[in-house]
Amino acid sequence: MSSLLQVEHVSKIFGGLKAVEDVSLHVEEGELVALIGPNGAGKTTLFNALTGVSPATEGTVTFNGVSLDKKKPYQVAKMGIARTFQNIRLFHQLSVRENLQAAMTHRYKEDFVSSILRLPTFTKKEALVNGWTDEILAKLDLSAVGDTITANLPYGTQRRVEIARAVASDPKLIFLDEPAAGMNPEETADLTALIRRLQSEFGLTVVLIEHDMSLVMNLAERIYVLEHGKLIAEGTPAEIQNNDAVITAYLGGGVHA
Amino acid sequence: MHTAMQQIINGLSLGSIYALLALGYTMVYGIIKLINFAHGDVYMLGAFWGYFIINKYHVDFIVALLSAMIVTAFAGMLIEYLAYRPLRNSPRITALITAIGVSYFLENGMSYLFGANTRNFPQVVQQHNYTAFGISISNIQLLILVTAIILMVLLQLIIQKTKMGTAMRAVAVDQEAAALVGINPDHVISFTFGLGSALAGAAGVLIGLYYNSIDPLMGMTPGIKAFVAAVVGGIGSVPGAAIGGFLIGLLETGVQAIGLSAYKDAAVYVVLILILIVLPAGLLGKNVKEKV
Amino acid sequence: MTKKKLQANSLWLLVMIIGFVVINLLVYVGVIDSFIENMLVTIGINIILATGLNLIIGFSGQFSLGHAGFMAIGAYATGIILQTVPTVGGFIGSIIVGIVIAIIAAIIVGVPTLRLSGDYLAIATMGAAEIIRVVINNMKITNGAAGLFNIPQFATWPVVYALVCVTTIVIVNFAHSRAGRAIQAIRDDEIAAEAVGVNPTKWKLAAFVLGAATAAIGGSLHASYIQTIAPSDFGIMNSIALLIIVVLGGVGSMTGTFLAAIVLGVLDTVLQSFGTLRMVIYAVALIVIMVFKPSGLLGRYEFSFARVLNRHKKEDAA
Repeated sequence: MSSLLQVEHVSKIFGGLKAVEDVSLHVEEGELVALIGPNGAGKTTLFNALTGVSPATEGTVTFNGVSLDKKKPYQVAKMGIARTFQNIRLFHQLSVRENLQAAMTHRYKEDFVSSILRLPTFTKKEALVNGWTDEILAKLDLSAVGDTITANLPYGTQRRVEIARAVASDPKLIFLDEPAAGMNPEETADLTALIRRLQSEFGLTVVLIEHDMSLVMNLAERIYVLEHGKLIAEGTPAEIQNNDAVITAYLGGGVHA
Repeated sequence: MHTAMQQIINGLSLGSIYALLALGYTMVYGIIKLINFAHGDVYMLGAFWGYFIINKYHVDFIVALLSAMIVTAFAGMLIEYLAYRPLRNSPRITALITAIGVSYFLENGMSYLFGANTRNFPQVVQQHNYTAFGISISNIQLLILVTAIILMVLLQLIIQKTKMGTAMRAVAVDQEAAALVGINPDHVISFTFGLGSALAGAAGVLIGLYYNSIDPLMGMTPGIKAFVAAVVGGIGSVPGAAIGGFLIGLLETGVQAIGLSAYKDAAVYVVLILILIVLPAGLLGKNVKEKV
Repeated sequence: MTKKKLQANSLWLLVMIIGFVVINLLVYVGVIDSFIENMLVTIGINIILATGLNLIIGFSGQFSLGHAGFMAIGAYATGIILQTVPTVGGFIGSIIVGIVIAIIAAIIVGVPTLRLSGDYLAIATMGAAEIIRVVINNMKITNGAAGLFNIPQFATWPVVYALVCVTTIVIVNFAHSRAGRAIQAIRDDEIAAEAVGVNPTKWKLAAFVLGAATAAIGGSLHASYIQTIAPSDFGIMNSIALLIIVVLGGVGSMTGTFLAAIVLGVLDTVLQSFGTLRMVIYAVALIVIMVFKPSGLLGRYEFSFARVLNRHKKEDAA
């Protein structure tokens, strides 16, 4: 019962359509879990329900012992859940630095008067924030593009910045929504290494949605399989690869593992 | 009861003018997401054309109305071609400022050429009042209502039944996809401006008959009210614009009737804000949620 | 790093002082007559109003068309208070009263409407400003549609100059702090901003309220400089005039707002002699600039001493 993330009987209904139906799952602290399933299985819908973007119709979600019921997305983020998006959502007019710093606003206070008058407390806070930023940029090999406007970055780098921004919000748990989508094999290899480091070096718990099966089988410690909104299997990569229900679900699409 | 009925009739006449204008706003917005600030001034052009042609050639109401619609249709298409088309891929706020520029240009250009003074619209239709059950309605009010309803039905037929109408709806949903299936968006947008402007021109002639006076700045306030009507009805929705127009017309006359005429504009905006708070996309607008 | 910032800030202070001294000198030797002074004050007041609007539109990405409403609040606070307390203290007090009422009004307007997006917000704020104007138009204390006359003139050009400096510092420093990063994140992608812990309602409201407060200051100065105000001075067209300054200069560029306010102020003065043709020329100029320079005069460019200093440093090193 002491799971970091505990999802119980969650359903999400759009009109009459059950996009997610009675899903229960748990993620332990420090784990690297994958959520897979054919297109339209409800994976992103489940992410959206867990992060408050589009709350679940039924069921309960507990994070770190606290219920996420009726929490707004920004409150969920403050509690320590970060995410990336399927279609990259960066602050495109801002530089990489500013993107990261926009994700840090809940980590410190800055009062109106001292920031307007540029009082020493303001300068101190800014130095602190700049320190955090430099550290993340260095760790994620982004120092060279720190001052670049993100709209001008290549696709692969934008994905990396989005992960860096999620890290900047100082989360315990990070949801990655198809991080390898549209990447070439080299970029995917870099990404695989990066996700591992999120777990080992940053001590983050990672939940990822991914279609690239080699990446999933390579990385995940545990896998949940979703089909038509329902959970059809759970297990280690080896177990999932030999699960009949999973193989049937993917038939036609084919599991390239 | 009688006064209420009387006010409803007055409100419907005024509302049909707003509705005709609101249709132009909503069609243009639906297709290129531009608040066409100059739309109210196209309505002014229609009124001036009616004034000119009736005084000069002594034509009857139908000729004045139809010719005003043709002239304003071309004016609308010309404005689109010169001022808005070059900005098709610019930030929307830039197009908005350009539309404001066009509006200033038309208002002040007309003032410069013909003077800023108010002039009497020639009474091409003799006014008669019909009274039944203690409610009085003038033939001009009837004319406005009937003309407006005929035009709205025609518009609905064009949008729903013709090839061009289908193309308009297609471009409104997805311009690129429409282009891919062989629709030329420029033609469709131009047609939309023509159609909307023709309705505004008709409204201009009708208001000239109704209020009997026109001036170069006459389009400003009704233009804004009609846009509010389009937003209340759900911008992009053609039936919504018609409903919004009638609603605003009724509301204004209603507030005036209970002796609060000083607050009639405020009442319109209060209703606008209340409706937007409850229904952020207006009465018939589709509330599109962004996909994450 | 900090030393560089100190240098840059000192340079800005120097620019402000030099500007003041130069204008003072030109007034003294008679180059600036009352006609030009009038132009300068108008430009200054427009800068105060438009930088606040640019904060709302360009930085927080909220399309407000109701700026004239908040300006009206400041103007009437000053007009009414100065009629009973015609002293410098009364003037300062009236500015503060105006700011406070504008903040309250901005919260009342902002809380429900800032959830709306894009053009819906524009039309709702426009409506709110019109409601404010209609209320002023029908109150006794504001003297209805006739407005207020003979308001004592405390807003001389040095006062306006000083307040241009103060409000600009407040807005620019706000935009370049934690708050500024939060509101710009919301502007670029509200869903993503929320996903990294930014509360959109709170920050959008903060920018809106600050913009409204500076608009009230602009209104106070307007009332006490022009000395006559009427509800018709604060209509939709006045909000639009401010919007034009922001877009013409470049949405999101404070330097651009300054430039556009100056260009339009000078243009307006130069065109005075053209009579009715003035607005026609103005309209054509506006359309032409927008068609050929769709992102405004300066786009998103921002002048910064810190960057200039950095560049010199790099060139020295090279």
